[in-house]
Amino acid sequence: MTAPAIASARDLVKVYGSGETSVRALDGVDVDLVRGELTAIMGPSGSGKSTLMHCLAGLDRPTSGTVVVDGQTVSSMSERKLTALRRTRIGFVFQAYNLVPTLTALENITLPLDIARRQVDHAHLDLVVDTLGLTDRLGHKPNELSGGQQQRVACARALVARPAVVFADEPTGNLDSTSAAEVLGFLRSSVDELGQSVVMVTHDPTSASYAHRVLFLADGRLVGELRDPTADTVLAALTAIRVGAG
Amino acid sequence: MVRVALRGVRAHLVRFCLSVLAVALGVAFVAGTFALRTMLSSTFTDIVATTTLGDAYVRGSEPAGGTGGPDRITPQVRNPVPLTLVDELEAVDGVAAVLADVQGPLVLVGADGTAVQSTQAPSFAFPYYPQDPAVDVVAGRPPAAADEIGVESASLAASGLALGDATSVVVGGAVRPVTVVGEMGLGAALAGATVVFLDPQTAEAAFAPDGTVATLSVLAADGLTEQQLVDRLTPVLAESGVPAEAVTGDEVREQSTENILTVLGFITTFLLVFAGISLFVGGFIIANTFSMWVRQRTRELALLRAVGASPLQVFTSIVLQAAIVGVVGAVLGVAGGLGLVVVLREVLGRFGMELTGRVPLDGFTLVVSVLVGTLVSVLAAALPARRAALVPPVEALRDEVTLPERSLTRRAAVGIALVALGVGAVVVALLDPTADHAGAVLGIGAGAVVLGVLAASPVLARGFLRVAALPFVSWRPVGPLARGNVTRNPRRTANTAGALMIGMALVGAAAVIAATTQASTSAIVTQEATTDYILRGAAQGTVPEQAVVAVRALPDVRAADTFATASVLVGDAAFAVTGIDPTAVGRSIRTEVVEGDFPAALAAGEVAVQRTTMDDEDWSLGDELRLVGSSGTTTAAIGAVIDSPAFGVPLVVSQDVLDPLFPPDEQRMTTVFVTAADGADVAALRDELTEAVRPYVVVSVMDSEEFVSDLAAQVDRVLVILYALLGLSVVIAVLGIVNTLALSVIERTREIGLLRAVGLGRLQLGTTITLESVLTAVFGTTVGLVMGVALAATLPTVFADVGLRTLAVPWTSLALMLALAVVVGVVAALWPAVRAARLPVLDAVSTE
Repeated sequence: MTAPAIASARDLVKVYGSGETSVRALDGVDVDLVRGELTAIMGPSGSGKSTLMHCLAGLDRPTSGTVVVDGQTVSSMSERKLTALRRTRIGFVFQAYNLVPTLTALENITLPLDIARRQVDHAHLDLVVDTLGLTDRLGHKPNELSGGQQQRVACARALVARPAVVFADEPTGNLDSTSAAEVLGFLRSSVDELGQSVVMVTHDPTSASYAHRVLFLADGRLVGELRDPTADTVLAALTAIRVGAG
Repeated sequence: MVRVALRGVRAHLVRFCLSVLAVALGVAFVAGTFALRTMLSSTFTDIVATTTLGDAYVRGSEPAGGTGGPDRITPQVRNPVPLTLVDELEAVDGVAAVLADVQGPLVLVGADGTAVQSTQAPSFAFPYYPQDPAVDVVAGRPPAAADEIGVESASLAASGLALGDATSVVVGGAVRPVTVVGEMGLGAALAGATVVFLDPQTAEAAFAPDGTVATLSVLAADGLTEQQLVDRLTPVLAESGVPAEAVTGDEVREQSTENILTVLGFITTFLLVFAGISLFVGGFIIANTFSMWVRQRTRELALLRAVGASPLQVFTSIVLQAAIVGVVGAVLGVAGGLGLVVVLREVLGRFGMELTGRVPLDGFTLVVSVLVGTLVSVLAAALPARRAALVPPVEALRDEVTLPERSLTRRAAVGIALVALGVGAVVVALLDPTADHAGAVLGIGAGAVVLGVLAASPVLARGFLRVAALPFVSWRPVGPLARGNVTRNPRRTANTAGALMIGMALVGAAAVIAATTQASTSAIVTQEATTDYILRGAAQGTVPEQAVVAVRALPDVRAADTFATASVLVGDAAFAVTGIDPTAVGRSIRTEVVEGDFPAALAAGEVAVQRTTMDDEDWSLGDELRLVGSSGTTTAAIGAVIDSPAFGVPLVVSQDVLDPLFPPDEQRMTTVFVTAADGADVAALRDELTEAVRPYVVVSVMDSEEFVSDLAAQVDRVLVILYALLGLSVVIAVLGIVNTLALSVIERTREIGLLRAVGLGRLQLGTTITLESVLTAVFGTTVGLVMGVALAATLPTVFADVGLRTLAVPWTSLALMLALAVVVGVVAALWPAVRAARLPVLDAVSTE
């Protein structure tokens, strides 16, 4: 690991509930996410992949262990600092319900900047919007956009503030394969061309194949990783994990 | 499906509680209004029941004139009966006692040296008879001499006097030093009336100087029914040759109660109208809550449909939940409403208006309230439930479920039609304000306008809020977010603001009416009263005759003009009549004369009649009127037609005409106009006047400005209750906004989570919700006030006859109301905003 990590976790543990009904969603995870790479986190349902991402992004607090994002220790931050971190250093793309329904596409894209009261870098905005093919949809409300367009608007919003890292939670979960390919292709090119760091949770081997690196989780532990994956090698690795776990 | 319904209630406890709150608020409003109404009327019927305990009453059998205020609601007046009948009747077998009802107005001077009075309640003196079952001596002893009085317990407390204290009373126009020797109990709350007891001889001297009284109470010996007693009295009365009749106590109590309820008619009607409005507002809040409730649960309902529930089952499950909410809310609401009444009674008690101690929970209130709560809940849920039940099951599979927003066109069309209809009716009333039903037409028109505006309010809301929110758009990100939220669903915004809109329309109208009344009074006084100073009796009491004599004796006084009022019979109807010195016209009063020569007519012994009375009675100039008073009868021609709200009575005659008709104690003289002599120092005259009337305690000296504000203060006192009720409606409207906002925060949990995830701070989120709330409140207030003010502004045209002539719009108060709306918005947003800010981001993002 020569490049400095954009985000890293050390001995990360997350327990939900208490007593007999408690669930260890994360059970001592150590991970370094490389700057300037698209990292995919995979695993079966209940493996803890979403929890890992939520903890890395400061949306959830780990039970123990540390999380460092862009040199800042997230796991010990106050809620106020976390909010500030999210608005300036982190971008989000969720599976669904990404956009504020009352705002236009453009207003949604610039929302993080508006919240932070920062000036919009119009050249950068135009570049992002242009790359995503959203130029003629900017005045539309979310309900006037297709699912693929909505996710592209979400991507644009995540990128326009030039965050240190973008977290995407099943960004193509609700899309058809063509739209999904567009969105994934864009996430990858943002890494390759803009030097953006992206972390994506997915359960779809095809989506994972767009990544530089795939991390596999099972039962709250990191159980393997794959560099420069293809859909086939991801599938093979997943099968191996299931067999190993089963 | 019953289990699903019950689980649904349990699973969404917060939502359930908020819905219950909405129902409880609505029902509390209704129950409170009804209970207040019952409490008021039972207070007054209690007074009748505990003070009118005679088994039979003897009264005159022929109509006659009598004492009367400047109004026409005085009950029918009969000829008086002589006190000599007392002995005759006591001799009748089966009669235990005959008590003469020698009662009359009396002013008691309290410990602080001023007249004991509260609100608008009257002040009376009664004779104390040991046989009288209505009165008992609580402490001390009954009055036995002319300089002794007993005071009713509540009046004694209000006066600040104690047993043994020396004070004075003003009775029959004379001030009399007395000692308080006893505290008497009447067994009923007296609603603020001041009651003093005199010994019978003193009472007779004061109130029956001519040896006659209005009624005699007869108490039966044991074992005699009221009817038997009447049957024994009737032949004795027939032999006596006095035109008198005997009636049973029950009949008199019934008539008295009826009279009181008639006098209270205004308040009762007002409270009924208010209860109707409260029903409407309550139903509004409930319906609003349920339509949001169903919308939030559409996905869950679609899932039920997907697993095989029929539309009917889904519908039933929602309606069942609504019924649970309705019953629970209604029961809480009834309790809350009674609580409100208890608080209100305490408040009114502080103002000196003591009401009955029983909090009335009659079956009617209970049934109406619970039925209203349940029925409105079920009905309010039924409409959205029907829509939800028909949602295709496939909707459950979609991620975002939105019920198709119906177009607002229909609402707009209905609203505009209703408003047009209402405005039409108002215009009709305005064009012909003297028509018989102008007031009713105006009322119906106003109602239609209010309903129409409510129907069209979503359309109004969208337009209004787009503009109103403009100043905030550059306030990123809060401004655009808040603006988007209030305009996204104009139906919801309008419904949220609806209750406030109605409340504020009432407030606006009341404010205009109050200001108009005040301005009209002021205009009347400045136009018609050309006097320097005005003397007023306290507690609606008369100005003592000796005080007038004393004032006239002052060298700087050119004239002190009195206005003596009584009630005469013309034909079968009673009319208030005022007697004046004809030379007062042009000296201390300036009256608009329509026809004839006013002062000349008075001087010639003719009668002057108000224009409106001429119209109502179809009289014309020169008609002869037969005026029947209590001590005489005369015939006078109509010599002039005047248009004078200052007199406020239909008939005006010269004092010389009035005197033979009524003995001095039956002429009420509440106001005296004092004119300074030429060259006198007007400012110094005030001190002289004050000094001259000081011995008569109850008389105050005012200039015309103070006179106006004194009259206005009386109006204000009446308006206090009105304002209290309106305040209640605004409080409930605020709670309605809190409720809707809180529900809308729950509805928007995911959106809020998203905003928080992308970095919206808690304060920014709270500010957004507060701004939404303020915009909504300002919308409701603005539309409500505009509506209320516009409708109330038509009153002076339609009701010019009752003295509302000068329209005044209290702009400052209205601006204050608008400022209040901002405060209301902020207060209403507090809890929902805190709740939204406290939502954990992750829960919000991953919520289902």
